[in-house]
Amino acid sequence: GKMGEGRAYSWDGVFNHLEMLEAQAHEAGRKQEEKKQQEEKLASLKERVEELRIQRDKLQAKVDLQKKRLSGKEGIMSDAAEASAGAVLEWKIRSIKGMLQLFYLTGISGKLTKQGVCFSISTAYEGTYLDSYYLDLLTKPAVRIHRHSVPVFIPLEQIAKRYLQTDIRRFLSVLSDHLNAYAGRRYQADQLQEHFSDQLEGSLQRNSLCNLLVFNYKVPSGDKTFPFSARLIYRDICCSLPTEVMVSSTVKAPEHLEETAAAHSELFRHMALHKAFCTFSNTEE
Amino acid sequence: MDISMCQVYEDEIKSLEEEIKLLAEQYEDIQQESTFYSEEEILMAIKAFQSELQGESNGCESQSDLKAQLESLEADLSFLMKFTCVQFTSHSKRTIERHRNRTVQKHRISGKCHSLSFQLEFQLLEMQDKEKVSTVISDLSVVMESGEDSNVSKFLSRNEEHGDLLTFFRRLSSYAEWYEHRRRTFLHFK
Repeated sequence: GKMGEGRAYSWDGVFNHLEMLEAQAHEAGRKQEEKKQQEEKLASLKERVEELRIQRDKLQAKVDLQKKRLSGKEGIMSDAAEASAGAVLEWKIRSIKGMLQLFYLTGISGKLTKQGVCFSISTAYEGTYLDSYYLDLLTKPAVRIHRHSVPVFIPLEQIAKRYLQTDIRRFLSVLSDHLNAYAGRRYQADQLQEHFSDQLEGSLQRNSLCNLLVFNYKVPSGDKTFPFSARLIYRDICCSLPTEVMVSSTVKAPEHLEETAAAHSELFRHMALHKAFCTFSNTEE
Repeated sequence: MDISMCQVYEDEIKSLEEEIKLLAEQYEDIQQESTFYSEEEILMAIKAFQSELQGESNGCESQSDLKAQLESLEADLSFLMKFTCVQFTSHSKRTIERHRNRTVQKHRISGKCHSLSFQLEFQLLEMQDKEKVSTVISDLSVVMESGEDSNVSKFLSRNEEHGDLLTFFRRLSSYAEWYEHRRRTFLHFK
């Protein structure tokens, strides 16, 4: 029969009610699961925090101990005993290697060998260190060069003949002058090609010793550019600035450009090539 | 509130990791002070090493390698100092930047060439590009004993401007020799 409206139960009502209970139970289960995951996550985070705190405190204690010994040298005995003898030696080895690296920065470094000494000559242009070259010397019965990595266009034999037997320091110093000047010239040419290729026309020509440079470059004048040609000769091969410079425009150019050519010529004589080109870009702007 | 607790922990983890990183760097930097261990401590360590060597038979090779390496390096250093007449009396370095293939270290060095003392400070940038390591000096500052000589100060400021550490040392030797010679000559006439 028909069920009264006052009664809460109808079949639809029951089903709805059951659905609702099911949903509630499902939701409660999900929330329980979520809560459980949260708690696990929280617990693992807490564990991690504690781990890190312990690690930090240990490190802090180490650093404090370090600072104490460095400032007051207190309790030297106990501290040295704390670090194993091996650790102290390893520290000393690192410290000496650091000092040997300093010698590399000074330009002359070396290592004793069974039959003599192997020197290393470093080159640099201002603050940038470039290639280094080694010289393996034998010392008995007389000083002579066993092996080396000096390029063939550096007059090593000439320099050795003059200084090696009488004054090794002078020999290395003169050789270093040659090598550093060569490295400096090469660096300037490389920098020019790398940073000012848009102003160069064609390729930059150079010899192995980099004491002869020939290149063409563009000089802007108004809204046109004129091709210039430059020829740099470095007769002093211990110098990284040229002794002779010839700059001229390759086509018939307006007269004021002849002044520009002369000005450039002067500039190249006294200023590093890549720096000279830098000033061109600055003045055009 | 649970979520915010998570956030609190995560923030603390991040700050602890940062702290640990800084402390580790600090520890390493202080270790790099060249006067960290005194000579007596080092001698003591070597002696302790000897007795350890005699006591143990395993790990013997690596330990004697260590001692041999130390002696060889000391011999090289001693030779270089005598040969170049340049002595470094103290050397400290501090890493101020460290990326994957790029480190910047600040160096502070004192030393002398013949009897002329100098102090240097500079930044050293090392960049690794495939096989090549490039080295660049910047922020160079040089203090020298005979700094009152105007030629010397002009020379020094030019070098400082360009970070030209190499040229400084190349010229230092000849200048120091001349300075020493002059000093002795004056003494002779006193």
